[in-house]
Amino acid sequence: MKKVKTLSGNTLKESMKKGGCGECQTSCQSACKTSCTVGNQSCENANR
Amino acid sequence: MIHQYRNNGYNIVMDVNSGAVHVVDDVVYDAVALLAAEMPETVLDGQIAGPAAESGCAGCEDENGCEAAPEPGETTGKGLEAGEKVPESGSAGVFQIPAELRGRVEKQLAEEYGYGAQDIADAMSDIQELTDAEQLFTKDIYRDYVIDFKKRKTVVKALCLHIAHDCNLACRYCFAEEGEYHGRRALMSFEVGKKALDFLIANSGNRKHLEVDFFGGEPLMNWDVVKRLVEYGRSQEAEHNKQFRFTLTTNGVLLNDEIMEFCNREMSNVVLSLDGRKEVNDRMRPFRKGAGSYDIIVPKFQKFAESRGQMNYYVRGTFTRYNLDFASDVLHFADLGFKQMSVEPVVASPDEPYAIRKEDLPQILAEYDRLAVEYIKRKKEGRGFNFFHFMIDLNQGPCVAKRLSGCGSGTEYLAVTPWGDLYPCHQFVGQEQFLLGNVDEGITNTELRDEFKLVNVYAKDKCRNCFARFYCSGGCAANAWNYDGSITGAYEIGCEMQKKRIECAIMIKAALAEDEE
Repeated sequence: MKKVKTLSGNTLKESMKKGGCGECQTSCQSACKTSCTVGNQSCENANR
Repeated sequence: MIHQYRNNGYNIVMDVNSGAVHVVDDVVYDAVALLAAEMPETVLDGQIAGPAAESGCAGCEDENGCEAAPEPGETTGKGLEAGEKVPESGSAGVFQIPAELRGRVEKQLAEEYGYGAQDIADAMSDIQELTDAEQLFTKDIYRDYVIDFKKRKTVVKALCLHIAHDCNLACRYCFAEEGEYHGRRALMSFEVGKKALDFLIANSGNRKHLEVDFFGGEPLMNWDVVKRLVEYGRSQEAEHNKQFRFTLTTNGVLLNDEIMEFCNREMSNVVLSLDGRKEVNDRMRPFRKGAGSYDIIVPKFQKFAESRGQMNYYVRGTFTRYNLDFASDVLHFADLGFKQMSVEPVVASPDEPYAIRKEDLPQILAEYDRLAVEYIKRKKEGRGFNFFHFMIDLNQGPCVAKRLSGCGSGTEYLAVTPWGDLYPCHQFVGQEQFLLGNVDEGITNTELRDEFKLVNVYAKDKCRNCFARFYCSGGCAANAWNYDGSITGAYEIGCEMQKKRIECAIMIKAALAEDEE
């Protein structure tokens, strides 16, 4: 593509296929304690 | 749904439903805007039907609970199989651009915007390519992925242990009221803490990773119990096939070498409370007799951060109406040598003089922009740092099930008081109407827990059509309760800040990616 640089592709739909293992961190435990922030966490699904 | 914005010279186009993020030139940016204005938002709205509607969410027969979605390969028998709802490539998952609309937009780009024919042709070609790849104009396919959150079974995987309802500081904004949480001063006994860990193990289903945060008040005021609980937790890991991740949130006053050494061995993360510049910190975080805490705490935190190799910790501050120029506090942390930091807006009753008001938003949003520019500059100069709210994982981030279900307060995340009562999270402790149960009997107020199950982006009117919904996951229930009177409401001032942080975080990715080329 000449005019577009893609930083991230179709990641959400892909994640549906193996999603939901629940091993990831509970967001509030990480740092914030006052504001739910999920998008910056990492997936910990071993089968991903 | 498309969200597009310009920031720091970058044109960003987000295709919200697929999670795709693109940096585009002006022609594509304007073309997408013209097209998006006439494309339908979603055709799946209100079309929830079929077997899934009866079976709760797909996969919820799993007795071990789920994250609102099926385990890979599992079926419910009467429901859906993992991935079954994912439309096949190139057809159902994306809105096709009608030829008539395309022609009209091309004409507009030429006549009203003055773009040349080749530029327009290239832009439309790129847009079509993205659409075919399902990275633009995609449909919301997740609404019927999670049908009825109330029916899903959940497991507990994280506890916030209020190891001490007492504090040696008297922070003016403390939601725990100097550690006492609308109650009495108290320290958690080892016996109560042990029961809490047993409760967590027993209620965690097949989750291997269990999180326990030692919180307060100030947990170092009950340090011996912290150590004994870590020891007890470790002794249970092999037998139950669990792995504890212990974390500690401290104001640092009592920090010493022995505590640091223990934490470096046992704590996967430590949160170090400090607000920023000396005058900012000492105004809001004094000792009980009024003296500032900065001079005592900063050297300890610097030593602690170094001893952890500048990893697995956060220096965490709170900003209030008194320091709306909080970017200076973030940069102050960086100047002190810290590499991992977070500075967050205060949670406060709107009556408090330090509470953030709607009219403060323009300045706050501009501060995030200012911080983002400096953040990029320092990264490029090789003296970068991580600011929690600018960290975003565009490629290996959480799955959509996690993004839909949010922080898990009241279901998979609970707070435990010194005497063993369970609350949906630390922010609700002491508000009797949010009492869920206790470590002896478990969760007895299942009605309340079920209300918390409903806290997700599709249950919240204000989130359904927000571009940020898959990044913030509906926000903080406690904030929503404090400001909107409902845990499925929204704290709109917080939403505006959150949206700006996401925009900045993505712009930063664009700027840093440019450098990698």
